[in-house]
Amino acid sequence: MASRLVSLSVTLILGLFGASHASAALRVVASLPDVADMARQIGGARIEVTTIAEGGQDPHKVPVKPSFVTKLNRADALVVQGLGLEHAYLPALLEVARNSNILPGAPGYIDASLYIHPLEIPDSQSRTQGELHPLGNPHFNLDPTQGKLMARAIAEGLERVDPDGAEVYRAGLASYEKLLDGKIAEWDQLAAPLRGLKAVSYHPDLIYLAAHYGIELVGTIETKPGVPATPGHLEDLIEQMKRQKATVVIREVAYELPLAQQVAERTGARVATVSSLTGGLPGTSTYVEFVEANLRALVAAATAQGPS
Amino acid sequence: MGPERSVSRAAAALLALTALMSPGLGQAETPDSQISALKAELAATKSELTRTQSALEALERKVDALGVTPAAAAPPEPPMKLETARIAPINADNPGISFVIDGQAATNTQGNDGAGFLLATGELFISAPIDPFLRGYASINGTTDESFNIEEAALVTTALPYNLTVKGGRFMADFGRFPHWHDEALPFVDRPPSIENIIGGESISEGVETSWLAPTDQFIQVTFGAYNSVGADRLFDSSQFGTMPGSQRSPSQWSYVVHPQTYFDLSETTSLDLGASWLTIPTDANRELYGIDATFRHQPGTSSFYQGTVVGVEWLWNNEQFNNVVVGTDPVTGDDILGSGRFRRDGGYAYVESFFNRRFSLGGRYDYAQQIFGPADRQRTESAFVTWQPSEFQRLRFQFDNIGTTGQNDQRFTLQWTAFIGSHSHGFAAR
Repeated sequence: MASRLVSLSVTLILGLFGASHASAALRVVASLPDVADMARQIGGARIEVTTIAEGGQDPHKVPVKPSFVTKLNRADALVVQGLGLEHAYLPALLEVARNSNILPGAPGYIDASLYIHPLEIPDSQSRTQGELHPLGNPHFNLDPTQGKLMARAIAEGLERVDPDGAEVYRAGLASYEKLLDGKIAEWDQLAAPLRGLKAVSYHPDLIYLAAHYGIELVGTIETKPGVPATPGHLEDLIEQMKRQKATVVIREVAYELPLAQQVAERTGARVATVSSLTGGLPGTSTYVEFVEANLRALVAAATAQGPS
Repeated sequence: MGPERSVSRAAAALLALTALMSPGLGQAETPDSQISALKAELAATKSELTRTQSALEALERKVDALGVTPAAAAPPEPPMKLETARIAPINADNPGISFVIDGQAATNTQGNDGAGFLLATGELFISAPIDPFLRGYASINGTTDESFNIEEAALVTTALPYNLTVKGGRFMADFGRFPHWHDEALPFVDRPPSIENIIGGESISEGVETSWLAPTDQFIQVTFGAYNSVGADRLFDSSQFGTMPGSQRSPSQWSYVVHPQTYFDLSETTSLDLGASWLTIPTDANRELYGIDATFRHQPGTSSFYQGTVVGVEWLWNNEQFNNVVVGTDPVTGDDILGSGRFRRDGGYAYVESFFNRRFSLGGRYDYAQQIFGPADRQRTESAFVTWQPSEFQRLRFQFDNIGTTGQNDQRFTLQWTAFIGSHSHGFAAR
């Protein structure tokens, strides 16, 4: 009986600790689904990716779950979108994950924003301007031309962590860039009706996409980034939309719909529901599907006839 | 003396001025060779200036030409590469400084007449990495009742092997769940009375603790700690507990804590945290304190992300020997009788908080508390609280408490206004 207990305990302990060596693939944790998909596209079977945040979540408010701590503890690499987008949950997780290889600045910390030229770098850090990102607006993933730059930074990071896989990552990047180039050309055609469109968004997360496709953003439903709408601000926004003849209210899926609908009703505009992250809209499990779904939603709202 | 000094000062100033105005004063006459060298240098400078001017003109022409070129024809700017990672400017992280202002206004139906205002917490919180192996943080806290105290000042290792972390200094001992939360992080306006009585406020301690994270998929963390004492009351009040704060004592009189905790993802949207804590003072089994805590969370994802529910339960059992405490009342004189006694006391709370949208939540709490020594004075408190967050950095909360003690009921109404200046986070521990 005693020997059976001992062997059971040994099996349990081995199972518990041996699990960490069960897989030979590079263990990659991605902070967000966009960089997760890109890492998968580039690394293929050589890497095993787990994602912290879900696509429909507000990246500023991701729950800090202990199950993420164990994943980070055993990760070979951490891929982040960067520019402070993950500041609400990642520092708290990294603080207790006890893995110095994936801390900011360490080789295993792969920052997808490395090649991005940030927009909206705030002149002032005062909170009178809302919740600011000191390094600039971090929502560059909505623009696929920025996505290409993200993929490059991720591939180089993976190669840094796993030099033996350099060929895999380079080939993966080349094929993914080719895919994106083809899609970007297609999307430029698809999004042609967006050029000159005047719109408002809920949160200032459309600026990179708007810059690429020629959308003119005339305001946000939020009073300031992260600060909810006040009645006075909404009146000003509606006035501004009427004056500028803005025709679309862009509502990101993580924010409530009714307010966007109210603004649209009062201005005769249409609501376009987009996502700021891959996976936020149905059928968008990959980055390519995510970009396409957003553009289709915007084009549908921009070209629709009649009242919304 | 005065006028003489002014005259001599003026003379000295005049002399100095003359010396400055006449660079050659006191030097030998400039020889011809030096003059010709200077002339040559001047000529070289002139030709250099001419070259620079023509280069500038050429550049100007190029700039003008660029101005008429259609933007689309301009070659795309090559992407800029940064070295490793984009990290916030040094003053954003090093150190992170914040100040919490937690003001309250309260009124009761029994005991106190009228209402009053209270600074519940004014907390200065500073944290930063110290070097690649260590980080430090300090929490300096002031309230209406007390002058400023160093509530926490601790060093935490960041790069130990085997998933170990060592913390030392004065800090909240890792016992239970809410005992080690700062006041302003609690979901209520007050610390649950059961925790207040048995722990003695926050679990402030001076000592050292080690925590270990199991290298498994399942989250298992175990903390082992050794402290002078555990509990804010014990740190600052030497009379009840027999030993001066900060004084040396036998290690068998220290307080030792073991706290294993684990976590389960029950489904994609629900999770359960479980913890068990044990505190002991080994000398004559002076104190044995057991605690269990469980927290259930429902956090839906897409489209209803801001909604959700948290249910938390915590129960403590304390068995402790006290000396020089009131153990009874003299039937003749009515005076308190002081003596020694062993008291077995328990208490705990259960609460539920529901989040209806991004800014608004509503909750209820039941608490059962006993005094830790002397007469038990059982107290049952039913509370309801509503919280509204106008932004991430300020919060308004209203709480109603129905407090039932032996013989009477008291109703308390509290309005709390909390705001955070600067970068404020107690990190994972107060999640």
